[in-house]
Amino acid sequence: MAEESFLTDDFLRQLMNVGEVDILVGLPTHNNAKTVGSIVHTIQTGILRGFPRARAVIINADGGSRDGTPELVTGVSIDDARPASNLYALRTLHSISTKYANSSQPSNKVAFRTILAAAELLRAKACVVMSPESANVEPEWLSKLLGPIYHDDFDLVTPTYSRHKFEGLLITNLLYPMTRALYGVRIRETYSPEFGFSGRLGTQFLGQNIWTDATNGTGVELRFTLAAITGKFRICQSFLGEKIQIERRSADLVPALRQTVGALFSALEPDFPVWSVVAGSEPTLTNEADHGVLLEPLRINRKRLREMFSTGVAELESVFQSILSPATLAELQQIARLRDEDFRYPTELWVRTVYEFAASYQKSVISRDHIIQALAPLFRGKALTFLTENRNASAEEIENNIEGLCREFERLKPYLLQIWKSSE
Amino acid sequence: MPLNRTALWYKDAIIYQVHVRTFHDSNGDGIGDFQGLNGKLDYLQELGIDAIWLMPFFPSPLRDDGYDIADYNAVHPTYGTLDDFRKFLESAHERGIRVIIELVSNHTSDQHPWFQESRSSRDNPRRDWYVWSDTDTRYNGARIIFLDTEKSNWAWDPISKSFYWHRFFSHQPDLNYDNPAVREQMWEVMKFWLEMGVDAFRLDAVPYLVEREGTNCENLPETHEVLKELRRRLDESFPGRMLLAEANQWPADLRPYFGDGDEFHMAFHFPLMPRMFMGLKLEDRKPITEILHQTPEIPSSCQWSLFLRNHDELTLEMVTDVERDYMYDSYAESKMMRLNLGIRRRLAPLLANDRRRIELMNGMLMSLPGTPIIYYGDEIGMGDNINLGDRNGVRTPMQWSGETNGGFSTAPPERLYAPIIQDPVYGYQAVNVLRQKASEHSLINWMRTITGVRKSTGVFGRGSIEFLYPANHRILAFIRQLGNEAVLVVNNLSSSAQAVELDLRRYKGNILIEMFGKNIFPRVGDLPYLLTMGPYQFYWFRLRRI
Repeated sequence: MAEESFLTDDFLRQLMNVGEVDILVGLPTHNNAKTVGSIVHTIQTGILRGFPRARAVIINADGGSRDGTPELVTGVSIDDARPASNLYALRTLHSISTKYANSSQPSNKVAFRTILAAAELLRAKACVVMSPESANVEPEWLSKLLGPIYHDDFDLVTPTYSRHKFEGLLITNLLYPMTRALYGVRIRETYSPEFGFSGRLGTQFLGQNIWTDATNGTGVELRFTLAAITGKFRICQSFLGEKIQIERRSADLVPALRQTVGALFSALEPDFPVWSVVAGSEPTLTNEADHGVLLEPLRINRKRLREMFSTGVAELESVFQSILSPATLAELQQIARLRDEDFRYPTELWVRTVYEFAASYQKSVISRDHIIQALAPLFRGKALTFLTENRNASAEEIENNIEGLCREFERLKPYLLQIWKSSE
Repeated sequence: MPLNRTALWYKDAIIYQVHVRTFHDSNGDGIGDFQGLNGKLDYLQELGIDAIWLMPFFPSPLRDDGYDIADYNAVHPTYGTLDDFRKFLESAHERGIRVIIELVSNHTSDQHPWFQESRSSRDNPRRDWYVWSDTDTRYNGARIIFLDTEKSNWAWDPISKSFYWHRFFSHQPDLNYDNPAVREQMWEVMKFWLEMGVDAFRLDAVPYLVEREGTNCENLPETHEVLKELRRRLDESFPGRMLLAEANQWPADLRPYFGDGDEFHMAFHFPLMPRMFMGLKLEDRKPITEILHQTPEIPSSCQWSLFLRNHDELTLEMVTDVERDYMYDSYAESKMMRLNLGIRRRLAPLLANDRRRIELMNGMLMSLPGTPIIYYGDEIGMGDNINLGDRNGVRTPMQWSGETNGGFSTAPPERLYAPIIQDPVYGYQAVNVLRQKASEHSLINWMRTITGVRKSTGVFGRGSIEFLYPANHRILAFIRQLGNEAVLVVNNLSSSAQAVELDLRRYKGNILIEMFGKNIFPRVGDLPYLLTMGPYQFYWFRLRRI
């Protein structure tokens, strides 16, 4: 149940006017005026094409935009597209907006909580969160993310995409293999800005005690996926095709690590009874292709990655002494001294590194945020190795390499359990 | 009670549609007749109706329920005589009830002497009274209306060895309105009944009077010329009489049938009716406000005619494919309930016999701009029989009492023109006039109340409409206004209780008087006017500045 102070009276009034819905589309925004209009239009088109009879609402949770984003969301009319698209809305298609903060700092957590609260109050059957920063949203995405919930009673639909082979390295080198090894479920995109979920999963997650806990606040999308896994909800994946971000933020590794790896590490402690007894992993039902790989050449500053790794290993030695075992640290220091052309971060070492970070995070050997920050240079080293090893690899070879990494995470899981228990 | 003598009487009227065959049988032959109908006029007067629209009662082979006329100037012998009709007409007028009859002008029966002469030889003087052709390829832009039964608009006549044109059943050849003799003859038919005292005609299938190559043969300018000529002659010789158009068309295509107030007085608003059902099922006002938004202004002397159900299928011609599919799935789950492009069911079964929904739909019928038409039996919630073919399932005998044959006839049940409804829910023993009259809160007594409330003001018949668009889309709210008189109508289309805030600032200072109970509601102020409404509830408020 939403807290009284959490939703504004105006927002409640708007929800009251919408009433019960079959489909709810959540759209978290913050200064997305350039793109949000076309995305809302795409969402409306997707609803009318895929669910023409459903009662639907678009809920915009805005983090204090100053560029008129909310007005654009509520101002888009499906009638604008009717002559071209030959679409016809049987029903009133609501778009409502609420500002959840006056600051310029958006919060995925607050936005998502707002969307979940709306979904519960409107008794939405099937919900989807869409990103205002995806440049190529297609109307069919709505059907692909909502359809399995609306028609087939699934609870969570995560997307898979066609990605460039060097895009999403954090996913392919850490998040996917680690969640797969620990939770036993092969979900390719454990945190995505687009995903579908059932009203019952939303309600269950809304009731969890994570909303007021500042340390657990980030990475809410990943926490949501993990909640679906641990709650034994029905999960599937839908292939959406190529995904193009509006802008790349390659420099934002640490915030990304906080949102994803931090969230994953945080979840491990409460989820220990679940993941500690899991062995191996099971594939997740996927609609259409499992995923796709694009192979176009890409310019990457490998030298910079190498420097950041070596500098990090040297400068953070004292931090690593708290986090890593002496053997792991020694091996890291050893590869840091390798010549550039010989540099390689071995798979087993990478998995041990990640597991030791996870255990140290649980033990809070130092500030948890510092632990996450310290992982950044090491991840860059791993990313460089991945880039080097797969420079000329085919899609199949890359997939085999990722699969090998996943198996290594699974093989070494007893090591994580060992150091986890020893810390207890 | 004298007749309402105002020229625009049809704008204030409530019309009751009935087939004489279905209402009451006075001579025990199993078929309703004019003497039987005459004997039930007190019932109709009590119901509060102002006009009776009679379906065709002329001599006919009855292959299309009388819409296949074999003689325009007589009464089918099973219904009585011309004298019986005259007596009925007189009795109706004595009760202040006008009589509207059918003018099936587009076509005749193939048994009509005109057609028999026309087909007899190519040289017959009446040959050109119908549309003949040596090929069946002319006018191929015209759609086929009765898709379930007809494959072509042309039928082969083995006698004259040529094709004749028919827009409806093949036994209903179309008259040729390019022939001045046909137009003159049709005026003579009208004059015959007008001189007897008939108050109005419902002109059947008017868009199809004239055919032209390269068109869809609907709504042609030449058709309007024919109709305008009839109207001119009507006004000259019989002022105060009325013409009602049956033209199942989109509002924009219907508009020309009003002309400049010199063609039809009234026309059915076909597209609105299915959207009322759709809005109710969707729990969303959008279909209703959308179609009324698309409805053009009509001359001040003209009027829309509104209905919930009639003798035909609930037509879905004037909806989109998406809407039609939705309507079929929502209201006709069994294929047997579907006919042509429509649903052959009565009001009560369509609404799952839910009294609240029946009242709400009647409330909208009575309060939206136009003249409401009640289909016989719907005032008591009669059911249908989808096992009867064509549209006969909604044309079963009127249920007057729990006696044999529902009090409709003393004939043996097997001799009735159609079996009376007998199922446990809608059967005559459960649903009948006598039983409902004895129950204070019955549907028929509620119908009498609402007709009375509607007639307590001219605003519903003649007033303007302004939609309010509260954020709650389940609420259909509008203001009807005539001069200084204003009525606020609020309908909850939802099956659940709703709260709604109405922007009534324009009426600040007015108090609201609920028109059924006459209770006073709070005065309108600066803040949005908050109403809470039960499932399918509706309010009519008179706005009064006191």
